[in-house]
Amino acid sequence: MVHVYNCHPFASQQIVQVEQEPGLVCCGGGVLFVVAAGGCKVEAYSVEQEGCPFICRFATMGTVKSIQHSKIGDYLVTIEEKNSATYLRAYTNWRYQAEGKARVGVRLLGHLLRGASVQGGVQMEIIEIPLSERPVAMACCSVTGDLLVGCENTLVLFALKGQNQQNPNQSQQIPQSTWPKSQQSSSQSQGQTLSSNQNCLDFERSVILHLQKIKPKKVALCGGYVAVHAELEVLVLKLDSSCEQNTLDELSDTKKTDHLEDQADFLVLQRHQELLGDRAKDCDIPVSIEKTGLEDSTGQYTLSYVLFRRFTPDFFQGCNVEETQLHSLQLYPLFTSNQSVSLEEPTCVFCFFSLPTAGYLYSLMGGVELLSAYQYPEKVLEAVLTDHLLHVITKNALQCFTVRCSAVAARIKDPYIDTTIKACPPCSLEVCALRMQLFIGLRSVCVYGRHVILLSTADAETPEEPERTTHRRGLELKEHTLLTGIFLAVGIDPATTPALESLLSRPFLSRKWTISSPKETSSAGHGWNLYVVDTVSPLTLYQEMVEYSQRYAETNPQAQSLRHLLSEAHLLLRASLLQTPEQQGNIEGNPAVSLQTDTDGPAEKQTAVQTGIQELEEALRQNCAQLGDCFSRGSQKDCHLALPYYRMSGLSVTDIIARNHPLPSSPHSYGPGFLFYLKHYLLEETEQILSQETADEVIDIFSQSEPSQLVSVCASPPMINISPAQTLQVLQHLEATAGVSVPLTITMATMMLRLDDLPQYSQLMERHAEMLLVYGFIEEPRLLLHGGGGGQHTHIRPTALTRQLAKSQPGLLVAAMVALHENNKVQLEQAGHIFKELGCENCLQVDFWEAMLMASSQEAVIQELLFRLVSVYIDRLTNTTSDAHPNEPHAPSRRRSLKSADDLMNSCSHYGALYPWLTVLNPAQNTSSQHQEALYKLQSLLCGPSLSVGSVVPLMERLSEESLWGFSLHLLCTTRRGQYDRSIEKLLDRCPQAIIAYANHQLQDKHMVLWWQKLLPELCNRTRAAADNSILLSALKETLVVVAMETSPTEFLELMPDDGTAFYFLPHLLTCSQSHLLA
Amino acid sequence: MISKSALLKVILLGDGGVGKSSLMNRYVTNKFDSHLFHTIGVEFLNKELDVDGHHATLQIWDTAGQERFRSLRTPFYRGSDCCLLTFSVDDGQSFRNLANWKKEFTYYADVKDPDNFPFVVLGNKLDVPERQVSGEDARQWCRENGGHPYFETSAKDATNVASAFEEAVRRILALDDRADHLIHNNTVDLQRKSHPDPSCC
Repeated sequence: MVHVYNCHPFASQQIVQVEQEPGLVCCGGGVLFVVAAGGCKVEAYSVEQEGCPFICRFATMGTVKSIQHSKIGDYLVTIEEKNSATYLRAYTNWRYQAEGKARVGVRLLGHLLRGASVQGGVQMEIIEIPLSERPVAMACCSVTGDLLVGCENTLVLFALKGQNQQNPNQSQQIPQSTWPKSQQSSSQSQGQTLSSNQNCLDFERSVILHLQKIKPKKVALCGGYVAVHAELEVLVLKLDSSCEQNTLDELSDTKKTDHLEDQADFLVLQRHQELLGDRAKDCDIPVSIEKTGLEDSTGQYTLSYVLFRRFTPDFFQGCNVEETQLHSLQLYPLFTSNQSVSLEEPTCVFCFFSLPTAGYLYSLMGGVELLSAYQYPEKVLEAVLTDHLLHVITKNALQCFTVRCSAVAARIKDPYIDTTIKACPPCSLEVCALRMQLFIGLRSVCVYGRHVILLSTADAETPEEPERTTHRRGLELKEHTLLTGIFLAVGIDPATTPALESLLSRPFLSRKWTISSPKETSSAGHGWNLYVVDTVSPLTLYQEMVEYSQRYAETNPQAQSLRHLLSEAHLLLRASLLQTPEQQGNIEGNPAVSLQTDTDGPAEKQTAVQTGIQELEEALRQNCAQLGDCFSRGSQKDCHLALPYYRMSGLSVTDIIARNHPLPSSPHSYGPGFLFYLKHYLLEETEQILSQETADEVIDIFSQSEPSQLVSVCASPPMINISPAQTLQVLQHLEATAGVSVPLTITMATMMLRLDDLPQYSQLMERHAEMLLVYGFIEEPRLLLHGGGGGQHTHIRPTALTRQLAKSQPGLLVAAMVALHENNKVQLEQAGHIFKELGCENCLQVDFWEAMLMASSQEAVIQELLFRLVSVYIDRLTNTTSDAHPNEPHAPSRRRSLKSADDLMNSCSHYGALYPWLTVLNPAQNTSSQHQEALYKLQSLLCGPSLSVGSVVPLMERLSEESLWGFSLHLLCTTRRGQYDRSIEKLLDRCPQAIIAYANHQLQDKHMVLWWQKLLPELCNRTRAAADNSILLSALKETLVVVAMETSPTEFLELMPDDGTAFYFLPHLLTCSQSHLLA
Repeated sequence: MISKSALLKVILLGDGGVGKSSLMNRYVTNKFDSHLFHTIGVEFLNKELDVDGHHATLQIWDTAGQERFRSLRTPFYRGSDCCLLTFSVDDGQSFRNLANWKKEFTYYADVKDPDNFPFVVLGNKLDVPERQVSGEDARQWCRENGGHPYFETSAKDATNVASAFEEAVRRILALDDRADHLIHNNTVDLQRKSHPDPSCC
């Protein structure tokens, strides 16, 4: 369906004061070029100034058959005929040709020999571009200024070269980033151009594409994209310069032969065909590249197929070949402002072409796709695409359609579009006709910025121009009939739709259509006219569309048309906002700004641009709010779009709630889109805290529309101000209707807490077992934690309930936090932050870590926790004294840990049982219990299987070995690290009574040899030095028993010290021999 | 064919320094500058005029006479409707070179029927007292080489300049008239097609 609106995109028209009948017209760089019919003269008029004043006139060298202007380089290129020969020529420095009286230089392509000869400044130059074939069509690249020429069977690409006159020997590639800018400034003030833009242009023939099977009618060039169309076929190619060897030649060659065989066998019927992207290479139009560039630096070119489309005349519908001819081929780049300063690469490139009955717009970058198909209501002669609109002309009307380019560009520019953050109407949104403006005998159209230039020539059969008033009436009638016809054509009968009927009855040439022609008489007297029709600013058009949409909103807010119109308005604003600041400030057909620049300096201009952008942004916010309204009230389908649009509107929740109040008369309550928005808003952790009034209203909304969401709503941080009593009532009602649930009970308890009713709070909390409460917290973590979720930058913080639990049910809090962590609802660091906020870093947090060790199975987390706990225990050991003072002054209120050392050793695998020899080292209960617990826990970890001792050694350095408990920890470390020799020595030094217990436990299996290799000699030595040491002697004796059991008699004999008394050792030797005999 | 009647391309050839640029400037802008630079390559000026009731746009092409600029000028000989062979009466060599110029033009302009192509010969610098070429020698050369009209001109004094250019136009139009009945109808048809509106006339 084609929507047809009756907006007023055209503001005013001027008539260009051309003396001779125009034959060809083209425009660019703010200038309209008119070639007199059949003549050899070009006249330039300024489009940007009021009345389109004449700039200059110059002669061409032959009869101009075709003319184009390149923005970059400010040159004109023509196909001309003289004496039956066809020529291709480029006209540069044409601005220096006032009144056609100065000498014009002529040279061949590549023969740049200027400098000395130029008398008195810059001279207009004509560059003759010789071609081996007859040129048929040409196009200039709006990105690089390169020139593409279509001949009978080839496309020739010429690269634009700039040469500065100051250093004529130094040829340089045109600095593309600066050229468009200098061009822009040049169109603002011509004087500037004359002085600053003294470059000589030249072209270099860089590539020839041979297309054997297509006869080019029109060509287009943009960036690396090359488009060509024959009568019924369109082919778009991408030409990339690269260093790689091109393989396409061979590919296409093989293809060629294939198809020749095919055609020999079968009669190939040409069918409708659309081949996108890579598939386009199956279009049986082989293309081969011939590189002609002189410089090696240009490298190789590779060619890829982008798009192929073939049409066939539809004989059944009464169309003949002539009526099914393609026209208006255009490659259209779109630049956006977030690009780097250089404008080299457009954000998107679009390809437009048209049949008389339908136009097609494709997006080429990032995957080729058909964006829109324009079904014209009548036969279209020519079409031009702009950022905002598509203008087409029929014989009797200028019509204006909307385009989807900005929807594509916005998505490329902003990856957050189509998420819950941002939205934009889809690229596939149906296009619509905004306006049909009647003219008589339209011949051609071209566009510069917001100026649409029309050439009309009255046909011979056109009757004499009637009297003015009746003529005007006639126009209206004609327009009415036409529009009615269009409505009928698209399947709408206006008679059945009152809104349309009234629309059609309005006068179309309304006050907005002002004709400002200074010399209206000039339009009479000859049958042709050259009009410059200005389009209104996008903002103005936007406002009209909004006004228009209000009428729909009043009659039927659910109507698709309302949504469509608002979406159209949205895209219009987007298109303006996407443009670079330069483009916005530019000239390009923005009369308001360019008028200002005549008088104001650059600073003022900058401000004007800024204000313009702010206005557009404000309008976009309004539009988003309206679109949000649309989706919030609409049906279930697409209702989720209310969220991003409302977000983009910048409105507060309070505002949005106010916009969504159901009408008192309407039975309809809140729309699904609105509820979706509200839920997401409340779920996605915003920092915007609602006032009590609003929060209560939200509760009200949900209790009416979606009571099941109430718990989640109450737990939401923005709802912190809800009135507890009122909410409690709602929740109680919910419980009565929907039944008891743990999260609901906890939520009610939270309300009781807010009411300071602790008994009631406790009663509620006691209704469920702790385990069930933990499940409740997993279900709704925001009962305990606010912030920190959803990747937002807000800090996580405890709720009032959390604080209460820390006081009254610390075990439950720790269990809940562990459960939340294990269910990925909170991270270790966030939990740490919570305990810090609660002021329980050193108690509950440690309990949490200990509990985590029991619950967690993630190795990385376990190692982290082990390390932290070791560090905590060491802190506790160093900060508490080992004296048994019941009340230590610097830790007065320290609570007992939730888990004792024994609990942990019994229930947690990471805590090992204490080695037996430690009991010998651990003194009796003469230290504080705090200290004792910390010591046992640390020893237990060191005895456990999980702690990697190496990693905690640096921490251990903080502990002195002076005390026996300190020594025991160090000894554990050296033992765990396998340094038994050292451990034995140290233990013998400090606490020989523990040595046998130690050796029995540690020197097992492969370490058994240490009994006789280390312990026995060590003991022998030490007893020798202190013969009366009974501890050492008994240790020696014990050792000998073990050694005698484990060694052979010969080995045992070897071990005997030389100075030992036989009497002392004999019994052991005997035992040894006996046990050996038995074995 | 329209282009032929609307735009007449006249090319000035001759040795460097004989005054081609001065002749063009005198004719189009009616000015004379004795210190004009050498022309490099090719330049042209347009002049609108009425000759014997015919309106014509004369496109006068000025070329660089120096031998070293040959490659820059020769590509533009094609499509000329008339060639003005120019020498300086105070420079015998420039006169003797006329034949070479004519040959170069005929070759590069790819003239279909060189015997009937309109050449006009100009002896410039009539104002200079020391002549090296007599009027009789020049006339004789013109007679012997196809009966070209000969004009003695002075760009400095504006002597005969306009008549010379007008003669060129006359020659072109005369040539057209000879072929007129072949192409005249054709011309009218095309005219009608592109100017269909009666109010235009």
